[in-house]
Amino acid sequence: MSLKSEHTKELHDLALQNSRIRRTKSVIAYAVLGLFVFASVGPIIYIISPAFRESKSLFSYPPQWLPNSFYLGNFKFLLSETNYIRWGINTFIFATGVTVIALIIDTLAGYAFARMEFPGKKIIFGLVLATLMVPTAALLAPTYLLVRNLDDWTFGLIGLDTYGGLIIPMTVSPLGVFMMRQFIETLPKGLFEAARIDGASEWRIFTRIVLPLMKPAVVVLGIFVFMMQWANFLWPLVITTKDETRVLTVGIATLQGQFVTNWGVIAAATLMTLAPITLVFLFFQRWFVQASMAGALKQ
Amino acid sequence: MDLVEQNLSDPDWQELTMSDEEFRRARSRYKLRALVPVVGFLGPFLFLWSVFLATPMVWSIWLSFNTGGLIDEAKFVGLENWSRMLSNDELVRSLKNTATYVVIAIFVVFSLALLIASLLNSNKRGQNFFKVALYFPLLVPPIMAGMIFFFLTHYDMGIINLVLQAMNQEKLNFLGDNPNALLTIVSLEVWRGLGFWVLFFLAGLQSIPADLIDAAKIDGAGSMRRFRKISIPTLRPLLLFAVIIALIFNFQLFDSVQVLTKGGPVLGTTSVVWFIYKRLFAFQDIGLAYATSVGLLLLVVVLTVVAYGFLGKKSENSN
Repeated sequence: MSLKSEHTKELHDLALQNSRIRRTKSVIAYAVLGLFVFASVGPIIYIISPAFRESKSLFSYPPQWLPNSFYLGNFKFLLSETNYIRWGINTFIFATGVTVIALIIDTLAGYAFARMEFPGKKIIFGLVLATLMVPTAALLAPTYLLVRNLDDWTFGLIGLDTYGGLIIPMTVSPLGVFMMRQFIETLPKGLFEAARIDGASEWRIFTRIVLPLMKPAVVVLGIFVFMMQWANFLWPLVITTKDETRVLTVGIATLQGQFVTNWGVIAAATLMTLAPITLVFLFFQRWFVQASMAGALKQ
Repeated sequence: MDLVEQNLSDPDWQELTMSDEEFRRARSRYKLRALVPVVGFLGPFLFLWSVFLATPMVWSIWLSFNTGGLIDEAKFVGLENWSRMLSNDELVRSLKNTATYVVIAIFVVFSLALLIASLLNSNKRGQNFFKVALYFPLLVPPIMAGMIFFFLTHYDMGIINLVLQAMNQEKLNFLGDNPNALLTIVSLEVWRGLGFWVLFFLAGLQSIPADLIDAAKIDGAGSMRRFRKISIPTLRPLLLFAVIIALIFNFQLFDSVQVLTKGGPVLGTTSVVWFIYKRLFAFQDIGLAYATSVGLLLLVVVLTVVAYGFLGKKSENSN
């Protein structure tokens, strides 16, 4: 009896020690995680302070963390002296346009590559795959020249300073087609065969069976494309020359003066731009998180 | 009697049978008709792909033997661009800067992301909060991330220097000195990209079967050992994919250079794409930009193949 209880005590001590180690470990883990959260979110939150201060107060010493009074001059300047609203509308049209067109052509092509038989399928798919790793920046010059020349051919629909010229070249993404094909391949084959025997057309199979099942994949790809274009800078910079056709990224970059920069205005513009996307993000966070985890799971 | 034979001997049935010629024609008509939906489904993408991806690709190779074409007519110059490219000091510098940036950024981001992902994987409480918080910087386009970084690292106005000053420390020159400027640009990419790769690796870690880890625990493998012997080998195909994506993406460094340093100080942060952009639209050395574009394309393709061979082989060995 006594031996047994001694044994139990020993075990109990060990367990206690173990749980203490585990607790220390998890305290350290959460401290490290907290540090990274601070580093991630801190800089974005800090931008609120300079947005509500006059630019010259930004250089004051000692550092001023909070604005003395809510100075709204930066926002007023942005709305009255710049084309900020127009840039915002352009960004929205640009990113949404690319997303909608890319989703349509990618799901259609993904279905063709996954479930249709036609001569030359392997060769065409191989060619498309070969362009998967082409860095878009390397095609800047020929794409620019192409869009400029297309102006006459498309009656001004695709050209410099047009939505068509801005949107259409960005819709082509072999990665999107590849993702959609991979997803459709995972759907059970019997589904398609049953429908085909019943005499359903490919279009009917696609709209009635495939599309409803693809909803998660479509949302993931949609978020992915939208976020890429929302952040896109180089292409809109090159293809737009007038202030009214600029998007937010390009417009805000022009606020940075050659000699004197109105930093308060830049902070206000950054804040105003990030606010709506943050709201969208917080609302649909589950989907956003899923979008970047999906890539890993598909492997 | 066999049903088929019976049918064949039936005069009605024989009348329905086509002659060879008719059959051939009907077959090709059927095949052509079966192609209609294929054209409908594949056509839109394939058309845009050939106009806006395949054509520019082929065109860029032709352009690399030309100069001009933006304001004036293009002029064929043979190999001149390519020979000038190989001896251009600024380009060599840009390539070095970009390579340094890519190597440090990928190394730092991946190490930190793996660390955070495994911390999150073993500490489940509040996981969702951390996921969302770490993802947050990804919403910020690089241009605006650059602006935010000004408010942190500007020599006179940056909050880091203001705090250092308040603590009577010497101010740091984040953007006006080498190699600080390039490191600041690297840290912007680390800041922005970390959350994405954390989620990416976390998904990978969560796909490792729990009994595999439990078995290792019972066998007395410590957490470091489990990480090295189980997590890393399982993550290897994922790592391959990640390295390739990050290579392609990071070699196109442009936005943060344009907004933070404009390539300076003294070419300390010029990148390859920045070099191309400047030649195309500012310094107007267009031929050199054409050739460099093709060079960048080739470089990324070669690096992808190398990464594939290197990591792909290792993952085969470990299986």
